[in-house]
This record gives sequence, C-alpha cells and structure tokens, in this order.
Amino acid sequence: MIELVFAIHVVGLVGAAIAGRRSIQGALRVAAIAPAATTIWAAESLLSGREPVSASMTWVEQLDLELIFLADSFALMMTLLVSGIGALVFVYASGYFAVDARGSIRFPVTLLGFSVSMLGLVLAESVWTVFIFWEFTSITSFLLVGHKLSDPSAQQAAWRALMITGAGGLSLLAGLLVLTDDVGSVLLADIAGSQTASPLAAVLVLIAVGTKSAQLPFHSWLPGAMAAPTPVSAYLHSATMVKAGVVVMAVLGGAFVDSQTWQWLGLIVGAATTLWGGFVALRQRDLKLILAYGTISQLGLLVTLLAVGTSKAVFAALSIVVAHALFKSALFLVVGEIDIRTGTRNLDELAGLHRSMPVAFVVAVLAGVSMAGIPPLLGFAAKEAAVEAVLKLSGIEQVVAFIGIVGGSVLTVAYTFRMLAGLSRSPEDGRTITALAFRPAMAIPSIIVAGLGLVGFVLLGTINGIVTPAATELNAGSAVYELLRWPGATTALMVSAAVVLVGSTIGAAIHRSETATVLGEPEPVAARVSDASIDGVLRLSRRVTARVQHGSLPVYLLTMSATVVIAAAAFLPAVSVTHLEWAETPVQLVLGLAIAAAAAAGVQVRTRLGAALTLGAVGVAMSGLFILQGAPDLALTQLLVETIVVVGFVTGLGHLARTFPPVTQGWLSVRLGVAVMCGLGVVGALAASSAQPSGSFPAADLLRESVETGGGNNIVNVILTDMRALDTLGEVVVLAVVAVGVIALARTSRSPGRAQ
Amino acid sequence: MIRSQSPIVHISVRAATPLAAVAGIYLFFAGHNQPGGGFAAGLVLGAVVILRSVAGLRTPDDATVLVATGMAIIVAVAAAPLVWGDLLLDQKVVSLELPLFGKIKSGSALLFDAGVVAVVIGLIVSLLNGLAPAEFSPESPGDETST
Repeated sequence: MIELVFAIHVVGLVGAAIAGRRSIQGALRVAAIAPAATTIWAAESLLSGREPVSASMTWVEQLDLELIFLADSFALMMTLLVSGIGALVFVYASGYFAVDARGSIRFPVTLLGFSVSMLGLVLAESVWTVFIFWEFTSITSFLLVGHKLSDPSAQQAAWRALMITGAGGLSLLAGLLVLTDDVGSVLLADIAGSQTASPLAAVLVLIAVGTKSAQLPFHSWLPGAMAAPTPVSAYLHSATMVKAGVVVMAVLGGAFVDSQTWQWLGLIVGAATTLWGGFVALRQRDLKLILAYGTISQLGLLVTLLAVGTSKAVFAALSIVVAHALFKSALFLVVGEIDIRTGTRNLDELAGLHRSMPVAFVVAVLAGVSMAGIPPLLGFAAKEAAVEAVLKLSGIEQVVAFIGIVGGSVLTVAYTFRMLAGLSRSPEDGRTITALAFRPAMAIPSIIVAGLGLVGFVLLGTINGIVTPAATELNAGSAVYELLRWPGATTALMVSAAVVLVGSTIGAAIHRSETATVLGEPEPVAARVSDASIDGVLRLSRRVTARVQHGSLPVYLLTMSATVVIAAAAFLPAVSVTHLEWAETPVQLVLGLAIAAAAAAGVQVRTRLGAALTLGAVGVAMSGLFILQGAPDLALTQLLVETIVVVGFVTGLGHLARTFPPVTQGWLSVRLGVAVMCGLGVVGALAASSAQPSGSFPAADLLRESVETGGGNNIVNVILTDMRALDTLGEVVVLAVVAVGVIALARTSRSPGRAQ
Repeated sequence: MIRSQSPIVHISVRAATPLAAVAGIYLFFAGHNQPGGGFAAGLVLGAVVILRSVAGLRTPDDATVLVATGMAIIVAVAAAPLVWGDLLLDQKVVSLELPLFGKIKSGSALLFDAGVVAVVIGLIVSLLNGLAPAEFSPESPGDETST
C-alpha cells in the first residue's frame, strides 16, 4: 500500500510536469491528486483501525541499508496533516499564481517533491530512511524558498535556509550514527524502546531538531523564508518542514527518556524560543512575519513538551501539532489572499479589512481564536492539555516549562489580539481598502482548514481517536488521555483564563499605542550573524581556492609529481636488488636507451613542437616494450594514444608561441629535480611491488573465465567489457565528463563580451 | 589553410579517410578475440577526424550528440540486465550462423563497445572544436564536393 502511495506521487510528478507545459493552474490541479488520494488512504486506515502496513526496499545489501516504511498511528496522523494540507495548498496555489505565471513546471513539481519527501520522513521506520528524506526536505525547501529567481532577498533567504538546515542534517547524521552504535539497531521502534542513548547523541539530535524546527539560535532562516510564495510558507510552516524536527524529536524521544542532557537542553531552548518568538511577533507589522515568529514560538512550545517527555506532555504535543497545523495553515492562506487581493500585508494599511474582505476576516478570526487557545476551537483543547501536562511536573523542571508554556501562551494571545484588532479597526481617514475580486480557489482551502478547527472541537471524539493512538505509539502511557471539550473548573482552566486576560490586555495596550510606534522594528541580529558566518565561510573558501587553484600549470604538475615521490617513498625499503635484472633481451636495452635519450632530448629542446615530438618518441618506444612483453593490446592502445596526443599537440600549438617562455635557472633545476625524483620513485615502487609477488598468477583463471563467461579469446577486452565492465563504465563516464567540460569551456571563452 | 598550401596533404587525407575508417571498424570487431576493441577503434576514428580537420575537410562538429549517444548506449546496455533480474552489466552472448561470415559469436559487450567508440570520438571532437585554432575549421560546408 505504501509503495502505491509513492507510485501515485511519482505519477503525479510526471503528470504535473506534462500539464505544466500548458498552464501552471493545470499542473497544480494535477499535483493535488496524489496528496488528496493519500489523505483518503490515511483517513481510511486510521478509522478502520487495521494493522499498520509496512514496506521495505533493499538499497545496498552489503551495508544492510534498507528503506523501511511503517504506517503506524503516529505516521498516519502526520500523513493526514502533510497530505491533507498539501492537497489544499495545491488548490490554493492555483488561485494564487497569475494565469500567465512563468516557471510553471518548476513550482508544482518542486512543491510535490517536497510533499513526497515529507511523506517519506513521517512514514520512515529506519533511521537512514529518516535521514534521506530529511535531506530531501532541506533541498526541496531550498528550491521553494528561492522560487523567485529575480528576487535577491529570496535567494539569500534560500541560501540561509539551506546552510542552516544542511548543517543540521550533518549533525543529525552524526547523532544517528552514535545512536545506532549505542543501540545496535537502525529501526526506530528498537531505538525508541532502548533508553540507552548517550548525551552526545542527545546533543547532536537536538541540534538537528533545532535547525529544522527553527529553535534559538538557529531560527533565523524561518522569517527569511517568508520571501517564498505564500502557498509555500503556508505549507512549510504549518504542517511540514518545521514539523520535521518535531517528528524526529518525537520518534527518537523514547531513547532519551532518562537523558538529563536531552531534557534540560530541550526544555531550556524550547522555553526560550517560545518566549522570544512570541515577543518578536508582537513587534512585527507585516502579517506574514507575525505568523512566522508565531510559528517559531509554537515550535518552541512543542520542543519544550517533547523534551519533558512525560506521557501527558507527549499527548499534549501531538494535540498542538494537529491544532497548529490547522490554524497556522489557515492564517497563512488568508494572509496570502489578503496580500494578493489588496497588494499589502502591512497591518497599518489593512484597517477595515472586515468590511472589504468579510470572508477572509472571519477565517482569520476563527484561526486566530484557535491559535490563542480560546474555546470553542481545537486550539483551546490542545492548550489545556499542555497546561495540564506542565502542572503534573515538579521542581525546577515545572518552573521552566511553566514559564515557557504559560509565558508563550500569553504572548500568543497578545499578538493574535493585536493582529485581529488591527484588521478590524476602522480606518482613520475613512478610506476603504480596495480589494480585487473574490477568488474561490484561494478562499475555500482556508475556510476548510479554519473550519476544521471548529469542527474538530465539536467532534472532539474523532480527534481523540487520531491523537491518542498516535501518542500511545510514542509513549505507552498516553493511552489514558483525551482532549476535553470542557475540563471543569480545574487549575489548568484558571491558568488559561488568566493567560487570555493578561494576553489580551497586553495586546490591547500595544494596539492602542500603535500610532505612537512605541515598539520599532526589531533588529534581525540572528539573521545578520548567520549571514555573516555564511559569507565568512564563502570568503574563506574563495581564499583557499585562490591559493590552491592558482592556475599555474607547471606548479600543478610539480605538486602532483612531488606527491608521487612522497607516496613512492614508502615502498622503497621493499626493493630487493638481487631480484632485479637489467634486461631480458638486448632489444629491451635498446628501447630503454631510446626512451631515456628521447626524454633527455625533451628536456633540452627549446621549441614546443620539438617537445611534443620527443614525448611522442618516448611513447612509441614504450609501446615497443609492451610488444616485447607480450601485451599487444596495451601496445596498440599506447601507440594510438601517442598518435592522438602528438596530433593534438600540433593542432593546439597554433595558439601558443613557438618556444617556451624563459625561466630562471633555479626554477628549472627545481622542476628537473622533482621530475627525476618522480621517475626514480615510480621505478622504485614498481621494483618493490615486483619483488614481492603474492598469490598465484591470475592469467590461467582469467583465460578460462574469459572464454566461458565472456565468449571471447582476448582476455584484455573481455576484462574491459565484461568482467570489470563497471570500471570501464566509470572510465567512460570520466571521458564524457571531460568532453562536457571542454565543450563548456570552449563556449565560455567564445561567448561575446569575454576576452579570449 | 593547409589545403591551399599543400594539396598533397589535402588529397592524401581524403584518400586515407575510408582506409582508416575501415581499420577502425576492423579493430572494433576484432577486439573480441584479438587486439583492438572500442577504445582503440575510437582512437583511430578520432585520429581521422583530427587529420581531416587539419586538412580543412569536413568533420563532425557536434560533440554533444556523440557523447550523449555513446553514454545512452552504454547506460542502456549496463542497465538492461536489471530489467530481467540479472546483475548490472551482465553480458548476453549470442552465436549466429550467418552466410558469408560463417559462425559469429558476439554479445552485448559489442554494443557496450559501440558506446565507448562514440564517447571517445565525441571527446576528441570536443577537444578539437574547443582548442584548435580557428583557421582549422572548414572554410565552407560542402567543401568536399568542391575539390
């Protein structure tokens, strides 16, 4: 079944690419089919309560490397979010892009590629499968964030996202290596059940989670990623990309239940991120940035809860994952619609939105109320679960988690209040916003996701039927919990009430003082630091490249020859002098002398043509030696290569002066010295290897095998095309790459505007 | 350039072309049991290309097509066995009784070698087009018929 899901996506990719030739809208609609079908499959599997299906594919047998997938309750819940919201985002995007938008194949295909990467990540059951799809999401999100090729800020944001999440990927790789080494299995189920993880693994995995889920201090890529088209932001920052870190933290969490490092690092980073994100969100005026920092804050909340790792906390985390995916995607979709229809996302210019875009405003209120955790919406039930989970803790752990979660919630209420109040305030000078015509393709998806927040609260039993088994999958103790519509007058409810009261007071205060601009735009310090470090790395690499790739052919050759000398030095002690002979036949001696003479002449000769010819003479004499040794194939090839090289030299010499440029005596002697040493080194290494033959002579076996399996009598060619054909394949690829390189170089140097 | 300076070179390269091509093709087929093979054949044919270019005769000018064709053949031959469940690059040997030639024994390695030939010639053509001085390029298309 899982194979079928992936197959549908592959068909969808091809279909979208074909449909994209006509219009981007068609491509987006075709691309929506695969996620929609997957959503139906996931929902059906969840409701039927069947045994989880699995799939595996051997990748590298010798390394025990397998792609393993398992659709358990947690994976299916995430699939529902990833594919369900994915399908809606595709529909939405078909309204978002102008009809004649360019790049019409690139966008749908990349977005679907991202969607399937995320799907692979949530369905993965072995750590390496997780890792591969994790990296796929990094790459595809890089392409999506940088979709607007002409926008330098989008390009910079894309690079920032790639650098940060890419570094996180390396950390994850290291963490998973440590973890699998500790546990001795690559299956997530074994790892989660082991509880033997080392602190090192905890730190490495948490760094990876922090980069992907935008935790302090790695958060700076997320606000920058708002440069992407809004459908991308809605998808990446609600249900997918940023949740990848949370998913990995959730599925590996079992291994770190007893790890103090995991708990404290996660707790402190998570709590700090929650507060910081909420605080910065308060200071933003761009709606999309309010949501971006709000997302950072919510992710901090999730990391806090998962770091705590109690059964109640895990349950609360998953409830928030579901609620957040719904309200945040609804808000992003609405903001995109506002942006497209009014031309602005600035809160200051959007006063009176409730009059000009009533539907969008209602959706924003529904989703916003859910985000603030106010009944009767799903966000409320999820927030209650989180507060209860914190109240069950004790000691300093409780204090930190309480400050993070309650403080974060207060700020969430505040920025939500400010945003909604800003949209509904009546414009000062009585002017109204002019909005373009209503676009159903954009409005309907946002209505659906925002509505689901309400429906989910009404039909809380269905949500429980999804979240509780999923949480139980991660922590067996979660089976007893469920979301409550009305918890009664518990401490948690009191806390929530206080949160709403304080939050809305702060929000109202900021809203009123807005005209006075008490709070200016915050300094993007972290973004600047990460950009500076990226620039620094690039500068360093440029400097190193300039030093190493200096462009001087003689020095390149000298470096290579000197390396050969050093490499050969290790073999010299093995040379046995008694073993060596001068020559087997006198002809060898003659040819050897001819080679030496030609080489010596090559050093002396002053013209380039002369040098080419003496080199050719060396090669031809060499092929004579091969014939004497009974290697006609080698001799033939050598002869042909020499011919081509000499002819090639002659054609190429037309570009160059007739004679070599003058060099100083010192430099010449260095070059001569290294050349002689190199020659002696090669002779020495060969003499050493022939002094110690090991094993039996392979010729007889090869001859037999060549006739039997290859059907040819020329062993050399049967080896080339059959027995060691893989090597030949590799060599041919090298030739092809060289050819492509030459073609590219020739084109560059001949293109106008460049000096020859 | 050379054409105008030395009609002898020009004419003899033209005359030698088919001979060298036959030699190259011979090497290609001989490779199975005797010295030769795809690489050698490619080099001989490549040398023909260079000589023709020096003599100002028409040469294949699109290296990209040659390299791409060669790689396509090689990858296809390499991957084909996977389709029927054999190992990558597994060889199929076929024996045929042909009139005139007698018994012929050959395999998919021959196709593989054909790909090698194309890539080698492609490389040489690309080097030639990329590096050779401009005066070597043929003066006009359809050169050959005008002599």
